[in-house]
Amino acid sequence: MSNQSQSFKRLTGSLTFQKRFSMTVRLIIALFLIAFAVFPVIWIVSASFDNSNSLATQNLIPVQAGIKNYQRLFNLDPQFRFGDLNYWRWLWNSIKVSGITTILNLSLTTMAAYAFSRLRFTGRVTVLKAILLIQVFPNLLALVAIYVIIFQFGEIIPALGLNTHAGLIMVYLGGSMGMNIWLMKGFLDTIPRAIDESGMVDGASHFQIFWTLLLPLLRPILVVIGILGFIGTYGDFLLARILLTDVDKYTLMVGLQIFTAGMFDKKWGVFAAGALIGALPIMITYLSLQDQIAGGLTAGAVKE
Amino acid sequence: MASVTYEHVTKEFGNVKAVNDLNLQIDDKEFLVFVGPSGCGKTTALRLLAGLEEITSGTIKIGDRVVNDIPPKDRDIAMVFQSYALYPHMTVYDNLAFGLKLRKTPKEEIGRRVNAAAEILGIGELLTRKPRQLSGGQRQRVAVGRAIVREPKVFLFDEPLSNLDAKLRIAMRAEITKLHHRLGTTFIYVTHDQMEAMTMASRIAVINKGLLLQLDTPQMLYDKPDNMFVAGFIGSPALNFFKAKLRKEDGKLIVDAGSFSVPVPPDRSKAYDAFVGKPVVFGIRPEDIYNPAFVPPGIHAAPVEVKVDVTELMGNEIFLYLVSGESTIVARVDPRTDFHIGDKVQVSFNMDKCHLFDPESELAIR
Repeated sequence: MSNQSQSFKRLTGSLTFQKRFSMTVRLIIALFLIAFAVFPVIWIVSASFDNSNSLATQNLIPVQAGIKNYQRLFNLDPQFRFGDLNYWRWLWNSIKVSGITTILNLSLTTMAAYAFSRLRFTGRVTVLKAILLIQVFPNLLALVAIYVIIFQFGEIIPALGLNTHAGLIMVYLGGSMGMNIWLMKGFLDTIPRAIDESGMVDGASHFQIFWTLLLPLLRPILVVIGILGFIGTYGDFLLARILLTDVDKYTLMVGLQIFTAGMFDKKWGVFAAGALIGALPIMITYLSLQDQIAGGLTAGAVKE
Repeated sequence: MASVTYEHVTKEFGNVKAVNDLNLQIDDKEFLVFVGPSGCGKTTALRLLAGLEEITSGTIKIGDRVVNDIPPKDRDIAMVFQSYALYPHMTVYDNLAFGLKLRKTPKEEIGRRVNAAAEILGIGELLTRKPRQLSGGQRQRVAVGRAIVREPKVFLFDEPLSNLDAKLRIAMRAEITKLHHRLGTTFIYVTHDQMEAMTMASRIAVINKGLLLQLDTPQMLYDKPDNMFVAGFIGSPALNFFKAKLRKEDGKLIVDAGSFSVPVPPDRSKAYDAFVGKPVVFGIRPEDIYNPAFVPPGIHAAPVEVKVDVTELMGNEIFLYLVSGESTIVARVDPRTDFHIGDKVQVSFNMDKCHLFDPESELAIR
């Protein structure tokens, strides 16, 4: 064996080399995955600043860069009018609908989960199983039924009928609460009952136990369910498209779709600009609540 | 401060009777310990008193007040849980103050009581910490402190020391006893550890399978167990049991255990006469078996031939595992004893301290 190959062997066999090698491999995989995830975002960013407004001719770095799409989106381009399309209105509708859905979702879910986890009543297991069974069928299957229900509901209570945000919120709640109750109940079950009992002996009512002792411990799961629920409702297109008919009532996703709906007049650039701004609320919510998704809040409560 | 009374209390979980017709009077300022193996119903008995379980039948009184339908918060009790059950998101101070805040106690009063409790338990410097920053022993103290600040009529302890290591457990045992003297309140304490029961209790209630088997002072339980379960449960190492027969020879009663026979002291013959010719269970505690060289004077000692199986030197004493025929005997003898494994030796049973049980009813024959 020559001197050279020996030293090569020594080099590749050394611990430092192996560590560096595996680190490099991991980095390459990570970079590939990041590129894979980030590419569409970059493409959208690029499209929103591309004045040529065409998918076919778009480059990753726009040839005619500019902010024309944003001007058009906000009706600031004097040579270009969308008429009564109101981006800000849609954005507000989306935030309103998702926000209210999330808050209602969290409060109803938490209280229901508390009952399922802590109270013992007849039919508890049956109802829990029923909830799970209903969740098995995707909302999509029930689309026609939902439409008819909301239509007929509106005949009796117009405020909850078709083309109302309240009706849409109700449908969203029905769709998401079942799974969330299970999630929340699972989390509640991991909080020792001794905490409740200790509170009971200390003199707390059911509500005080729920509010002062358990709710603070539920924060991580509340944040998770809240964020996922918010994103889910915010990004929903289908239900909103079916239940809302007035352009004024549209949520962002439904509204944006108008830009891409014209047969020979697809405004991809404007769509991209709108999508990008529409993503901001989600990013802000996510970043601001990120730290809250912390486990181990119950550490120290009881000795396992 | 109050007495506690259980009257025909029964608790059923489905078909299982966790507590079966419990009758018990606990005096004011008493330290009563419920002891028994796990699953015997002792914790359930305590939880019934706390109001955390509903009574199936019977009544429980605190003082003169029937508390069956009174919620836990209005029973004027405080409870220390096995798992401590501290509120993890609150500081030690808030943990202690929680019960008082709910009762709308004035702020200065809360501060005074919390600081007093913290001083008693030596947790003054921990008040601003969260439970997860505390060690097991400190958490335990906080749990006790939470009970103290409430100044309740009755303290309930549900195996509070079982999560601590051996050394800390012994230290806390002494502290809880001291606390009882200091507070002068009724303490009811649940444990499966007979050592804890023996060392702390003014009276012990031995429970098995939901039944109260004996209620007495630690010394009486030890000296005069009412039945085989109590005899075997109290004391460590456990009492030796032998299947035997009682026979009469020349007017003297003899316990015949097959491999050995020992005479019964004359003062007991009256109680045992009815069992002559019948099977009995003979019991003797390890410490009532002596090396013949160190038998104390004035006892009725009976010699028994045995083979030494194992010896364990504990320093201040020696545990001998002896074999006689089919049965194994544990003896606790003087440390000067020089027996070796395999030796055929003679030991002396102190017959004044022997126990005889009816094998059918498992009750002591007296």
